[in-house]
Formats: sequence, structure tokens, C-alpha cells
Amino acid sequence: MTTKILTLGNILSRPINILLKQNNVTSNLKTNFSTTSVACVNFFNKLPAEKLWKSVTSVSNAGAKKGRGRGAGRIRIRDLNRGQMIGVGRINMLWPGLSAPVIRGRELLKQQRLPDDQERLEKLIKIRDSMTKFRRLKLSPIERGWSGTKMPGRSLGPPDPIGEDAFTGFDTKVLQLRSLLIMKGNLGRTRNFQALVVTGNGQGLAGFGFGKAKEVPAALRKAKNRSGQKLMHFEIYNGHTIYHDFYTAFGKTKIFVQKKNEGYGLVCHRAIKEICQAIGIKDLRAKVEGSNNLQHIVKAFFIGLLQQRTHQQLAEEKKLHLVEYKAENEYFPKVVASPSEVRTKDQVQKNETLDFTQYVMNDKVILKKKKFPRFYETMPHYKTYLKKYEKYRNHEKIRLNLKVEYGEVKSFLTDKYPEKAETEA
Amino acid sequence: MSLIFRKLARNNPRNIITDAQILVISCRKLSIVPSVYDGEDPAPKFFSSNVQVLLKRLTRPDFTKVFRKRTSHGLTVLKTPTYKFLTNEELEEEIAKANERADRLLQMPPVVKIQQHIEDVLSKDPALVGYDTAKYIFTDITFGVANEHRFIVERDPDGYLRSCDHDVRKRLNQVYFPTLGRKLREPVMFSDLEKFNSLLDREQYEFVLDRACVQYEPDEPSYQKITSMTYQHVDNKSKYELLRSTRHFGPLVFYLTWHQTMDKLMLELLQSGAVREAVLLTALRQDIHGDVANGDVARTIVQQILPTPVQLTKPETLTEEDIQLDSKCVECIEKYIVSNSSMKSQQELALQGFREHYQQLIELSRGLKKAHGKQ
Repeated sequence: MTTKILTLGNILSRPINILLKQNNVTSNLKTNFSTTSVACVNFFNKLPAEKLWKSVTSVSNAGAKKGRGRGAGRIRIRDLNRGQMIGVGRINMLWPGLSAPVIRGRELLKQQRLPDDQERLEKLIKIRDSMTKFRRLKLSPIERGWSGTKMPGRSLGPPDPIGEDAFTGFDTKVLQLRSLLIMKGNLGRTRNFQALVVTGNGQGLAGFGFGKAKEVPAALRKAKNRSGQKLMHFEIYNGHTIYHDFYTAFGKTKIFVQKKNEGYGLVCHRAIKEICQAIGIKDLRAKVEGSNNLQHIVKAFFIGLLQQRTHQQLAEEKKLHLVEYKAENEYFPKVVASPSEVRTKDQVQKNETLDFTQYVMNDKVILKKKKFPRFYETMPHYKTYLKKYEKYRNHEKIRLNLKVEYGEVKSFLTDKYPEKAETEA
Repeated sequence: MSLIFRKLARNNPRNIITDAQILVISCRKLSIVPSVYDGEDPAPKFFSSNVQVLLKRLTRPDFTKVFRKRTSHGLTVLKTPTYKFLTNEELEEEIAKANERADRLLQMPPVVKIQQHIEDVLSKDPALVGYDTAKYIFTDITFGVANEHRFIVERDPDGYLRSCDHDVRKRLNQVYFPTLGRKLREPVMFSDLEKFNSLLDREQYEFVLDRACVQYEPDEPSYQKITSMTYQHVDNKSKYELLRSTRHFGPLVFYLTWHQTMDKLMLELLQSGAVREAVLLTALRQDIHGDVANGDVARTIVQQILPTPVQLTKPETLTEEDIQLDSKCVECIEKYIVSNSSMKSQQELALQGFREHYQQLIELSRGLKKAHGKQ
């Protein structure tokens, strides 16, 4: 029947044909194509893709110099052909010889329409979106530096070996990486990168170095290798801290460094912390005052460390025994250094600085600012709070003791007067 | 009961020696039977100046251990150390002060006789019989009265007014005048024998003894039981080094000597080459029991030993005086081993080893002197 109608259809007008034809064939002929003689004058079909994209993504020369068109807000060229194949389109057709083989098994494949793939468009959009989004470089928490994917704080490994001498046990940390602009006669303003790194073996040897280059990796490499050439040795007291408090300055940067007991940690500027870790100092407190210029901080701290005097040197200078008192040892007087010749009491001048801290700080007194009460402590509600919570102040301890005694929070009265469930009451 | 315990304890060292090696382990388990000072009062002997001096010297105080880091006192971070510039005289003063503090830290817990029950009826009031079902306890909480002299009485439902017994007194004293660290209930580590033994097996002797000092009075039966078990454990395992330089070493030595089981300690002293301390131990036995053959000789040697400095480590060079003194000590110990020791063969062997080592040391130091050109 159908074949007969089809043959008729060729003769008949098109609308009748559409009505009569089966569904799977109709859509093929339904595609919109204009047969008008009017040409569409629109730059989308007048200009090539390359030019169109350029008009969208380009940044003016002045803007590019300022750094526009970079980073997160940047528009990128999308390859709209990606994810598309010839012979596969919105309408899922099977074209033997184009999108499918001509013969499958013994069967000769025929051109036919397959069911529509609903997800095709979504997939295409996804592929296109993946090209546009700005992807941040992911770093593992161990590799990360002070902030995000920035270089400062990141490890570079040991400096490159010189001949047969390798820097075993060394590690390098980036302290600063910045771009510098320099003027050149023929090139005009050009960009250079400057890196400041510190390297050390954690056992007293450390050094810092600068490196400048046109590219970041080169600058880092130069700085790393130069720092390996400028190693200094520092004495570490008992393998964990410095010998004494000290004050040090470079330019307008002032640093007050304090010796601390075991377990205190490094409470200081992050660059000082990295330096301490490179040297092997574990406990210390440092307060930076004045300028926060990082290069000055690094230089000041290294100078301060170098100007330290060991206990033996201090004892020799003073010609007196140097005695250490530790609270955890019940203030047992431990002689840490004795001079070759000890002065008597009469030989000690009256106006001499005998206070250890004052002596090592070179008579400089640190201004200790008065601590003001917290803003809420003067308010009336704070008094109410204190009154209200006074009765609970020992409850935590009591709970702990009850848990020790009974294994749970209950008292000796619980057995006699068990708590009634609220539903009963 | 306790008499039998004491006899057992006395017999045990002999068992260890005579029985086969396999039996030693089983003996070790058996030998820990708590014994208390319930016979003769040990206090006069313990507090006599001779014994105190000997016990303090036997403690072998090493200041690095006496002033060691113990706890952080609830602080999250240790305090920053302070430094001082001192002249010789000032340093000596400071060291003298530290010595006083060491004395305080090394003050020995007293060894006294076990307490007796208080049975003291103050009055009997028949009119009050059946007045109430509960006891009434009256405590004098006047400030400044010592806990042991505080007036604490109870009115029983049967009309008797009597003085309270020690356990009630301790409880009430703790309620009104709490001692820091003391618990109203006995801590589980003491009440549960399994937990207590596990502590001993982990060699936490100092912790056990310190806590016992806080929790109990020295004349309480529980205190004496716990300490005696700990001492026996230390003795069996020969872990004397763990208690040296602590305040518990004196009572340990006193306990062992009092029960005449100090031969293992003597052996340890000889093996470690501390002959002088061995003589001190002999003198201690003479002072407590008076049964040492050459006790008077030991006492005279002690007078020579006491002025010499404490030997924390084995000496590397010897002076002529040292050699003289040590040879006297060796003679004294020889006699002790022959007449009084219960571990003769082992101690003789240890003494022989010491002699050989000492002979080498003598030759070395004399040779050194010659090489330096001194006579």
C-alpha cells in the first residue's frame, strides 16, 4: 500500500505528501533552508571566525601593558568545532559511508533517522564552557606556599650541586618573587623578575640569595644557587633556640627577637619563620616594628643572628659565671658558662649592667605597652554574665571526677533518687 | 596473720637461692605479700641521726635527677629561662640554696609503727538511746589546730559519746581542711589490685609511692601495705636505680634492712662497684639490728666515708687516700659476706670482679702519676 501511495506522492503536491508520509522520513525534508534570493548581510556570516573572535578578545595595546585581558575575567577564544563530527548533527541521522559503515555484517545499511540524542547539546555546551573557564593551578597542601599558588613560601629543593659537592639535606624556600620594570635604550620598558630565597640544612647552615631574570623559573634558579654559595653557620642553643634576646635593625626595619623555651614554637613574621626553619631554630618570638620591607626584614634578622654572642663569650666579656634558672627544674642554678678568670664582688663596677637581658639588648629597653581591658569588660552586661556563670565554674571538673568515679555523670544520690523521665512527670 | 607474712618474706630470698632457676619466677609472684610495721616501733631507729645520715647518703642524690623536669604544672608552654651573671661567692650561695631545696625534695616519708584503733568512750547517756537513727559527728574546726589533734567525736544511736576512729577522722579532716591531691575515696589504682600490679609491672614505682604519700598518712595500714608491696617489687626486679635520687630510696633501704632482706641490694652495690655504699649498708644493718660481725669496724669506716664526695659515676683515676679507703671497705665487706650474708657465693663473685677491676684502675692511676712525674 505505502509504496503505491509513495509513487503517487511524487506526482501530487508537497503538502499532501507530508501528510501522508511516515514520521521518520518527514523530518528529513522539514529542515529550514531559505530559497530566497536576498543575501543576509550580517558580519556573522560575512567575516571569518578568526576575525570575529579577535574583535571580542582583543585588548588595546595600552591596556595589555597594564595587564588587562589576563587572569580571571579574560575572554578566551572558543573552538566551536570541538566535540562536533561531520555527519553527526542535531538530527540524529545515520549516513552510511559518512557516519557509519556501508555494510554491517551481511546487511547493506540504509540511510535512516535514529532516535534523537537528548544530551548531545548539553555535552557540547559543557565542552565549550570548559574552554572558557579560568582554571586555577591546583597544589597539594604540602606543596602550597604562604598563599594559594603564589611562589612565596614554596619549596624549591636543594641548590644544584657544584661539581661533585651536592647540597644534601638542604631545602630552599622562596621568600619573595616580584616583577621589576627596567628601561632599556632600544627596547623601552622591559619586565624582569626578582626572587629572594633562603636555603638551609636545618642544622645551623643557612644562606639567602637574590636572583634576577627575564623569566620566573630562571630567577628562582639563580637565587637558589646563589643562596647555596652564601651559606653562614649559626650556633643553636641546645638545638632549639637562640642564645639570648636581641635587637636588630636594617634601614627602617626594627626586629625584637626573644629566646623561648622548648615547645614555644616560632611566633614571628612568616619570612623569619622560614629562615628559622632553614637554620634549625625551633623556638623563638620576634616582633617586627617599623618598615615591613621584606628584604630588610631578612637582612636585619640575619645580621642579628650573626651578632649573637654565645654564653661562653658573654661570660668571658663579663668575667662572671653565667647561670641559667629554669622553672621546670625548680630554678636549679645551672652554670652554662664560666670564664677563665672570675672577678670578685669588689671588682664589679657599681654602674655596670648586671641584668642579663639588659646586657644582651645593649641597654635597650623594650617599650611594653599597657594592656587595656577588652571592650566588653567595662560594659554592665559583662558583670551580669560573671554573676550568672559563677556557679557553673567548677562543673567541668566535677563532671570529669564523676566520670572517673562512676564511669558516667551521676552522684552518690542517683541510686537512691533516680532521675524520672520527663514523660512520666 | 602479719607475723606469718613476715616469716614468709624472710624466707623468700633463701628460696630464691636454693631452689632451681625455674622456680624463681613463681617465687617472685609469691614473695609479694604486704607486710606492715606492726611489731617493734621502727620510728626511733629511723629518726636517729646515724640512720638518717646513712639513708641520705645511700640515696646517692644526683641533682640532674632531683631537679629534673616533672610536669608542666598545667601550663601549655614552658616558661622562658632566666639568666644571671654571678661571682664565685654568689654562685656558692646559690648552690647552697639549691642544696637546701634538694634536701626538701629528698625529705624521706617517715617510717612509723602502724596506727592503733581509737576506742575511747567519753560518756554514756542512757537518756539518748534511740533518740535518732543516725550518728552525730562533732568536729572542732578551730583554725590552726593540727589535723591529728583535732577534736572529732561521735554520738552513736546507743547513747555513747566516743572519739572517732582514724578512717572517720581522716574523712572529716579532708572535708573541712582538704589536702591538695588527696581524694575522699581511695583511688582505683590502690583499691584495685589488678591495676596496682599493672602499675608495678610497668615499673611506675615513683608514681605509686608519690601518690601513696599524698593519699595516706604514714601510719595507715593501706599506706604500709602499698609501700611494702612496691618495695618488694623493686627488690625482686633489682630496679633500685629507678628510686635513687628520690625521697623513697631511704625508706626502701630501711624496709629491706629492717626485714633483713637487703642482700640483693648489697649484691647490686657490689656489682656496680659501690663498695663504700656497701659498707654504709652494713653499718645501717648494724645500727638497726646490731647483728653484723664487724659492725664497729664498719661504723669507723663510715666516719671516713661521709666527708668524701658522693660518687655518682665510677671513678676514673684514684688518689692514694681513695685506694686506702676502698681497700678497707673491701676487707669489711669480705667479713660481712662470710658472717652475715645470705647470698654468699654471688656476692663473693661480685666482690672478686670488683677487685680485679679495681686493681687495673690502681695500676692505671699510678702509671699516670709516674708519667706525669709526680710521686
